[in-house]
Amino acid sequence: MKVIYNKINASIAAKLLSGLLLLVLLASTTGCANRATASLSPGADLSKIKSFYLIPGAEDKDNFKLIQANLEKRGFGVTVGPEMPLPYTSDAVVTYVDKWMWDITMYMIELTITFRNSTDNFPLAVGNSMHGSLTRLSPEEMVDEVLTNMFNAKPKQ
Amino acid sequence: MEKPGDFRRRTITYVTFLCAVLALLAGCASPATYEGMIPDRFDITQKRPETVDVVVSGGQETNAMWKTQISDEAFKQALIEAIGKSQAFSKVVQGKDANFLLSVLIFNMEQPSFGVSLTVNLEAVWKLSRVDNGKTVWSESIKSENTAGFSDAFAAVKRLRIATEGAAQKNIAEGLARISKLNL
Repeated sequence: MKVIYNKINASIAAKLLSGLLLLVLLASTTGCANRATASLSPGADLSKIKSFYLIPGAEDKDNFKLIQANLEKRGFGVTVGPEMPLPYTSDAVVTYVDKWMWDITMYMIELTITFRNSTDNFPLAVGNSMHGSLTRLSPEEMVDEVLTNMFNAKPKQ
Repeated sequence: MEKPGDFRRRTITYVTFLCAVLALLAGCASPATYEGMIPDRFDITQKRPETVDVVVSGGQETNAMWKTQISDEAFKQALIEAIGKSQAFSKVVQGKDANFLLSVLIFNMEQPSFGVSLTVNLEAVWKLSRVDNGKTVWSESIKSENTAGFSDAFAAVKRLRIATEGAAQKNIAEGLARISKLNL
């Protein structure tokens, strides 16, 4: 009887330990990390913007198209092109930084989009979204989340 | 009854688990501290007799499993301490008792994911306005960068925190230097 009791105890302990180890491994990835923020520069008024000049990332293949499509869906005119000397003819300039990670498949872990004044490059608004592996979003969803937060952001001062 | 190999197996398992936990904790990101963001040196042209209220926004809380971030509270505290040390203004006070309102928006921060030397780029939007009439007297975007290498810290997470704090330090020093040069 005592032998059976000890065997059961050892089995439960082993399972508990395996579970704890798995939890540690899961937590050691960024799996559960989540963040979505946006900030407006003091005095910035995004409602005055009708058109954007979008500068694709240097190593980006076609993710810029997602941002372009999302802005156009919101009714903005979007011109895509390389970085050029100021001023731009559009109302604001859009740049972005996307970061990717591998976890079975590649996924976008973080996206930061910035709007700047097209005449003097002054910052207007910034949005950031970060999703770990377990809560990953598609690139389209990340873009939509960041831009939605940016356009809904209220200036703090 | 315990078999001869059981104790050895159990010990190996516990030690492995302990090592995993310790490795996990050592790899955790910590937030930028306000002490680490207070500049050592200031380039103040004139010390203003006026008082100032300070507001900071745009900061982020640090997720231990990601990267060091700068919180609004930590940056504000560092800025208040820096104003006190530099005497850029006579005193920091709250609300309508202040002559000026200094608003800083932590706009953008670029941090590397890997590297021996880690360089952090920080951009903050500074705005100084009069409290009595709300008029903006000065507004600028200030960029700063700082690099931390192996000589600063062995662990990459600590290097990143040091680089981040250093970028904030330089941003605060530059912001106060520019304010001191204003004719208000």
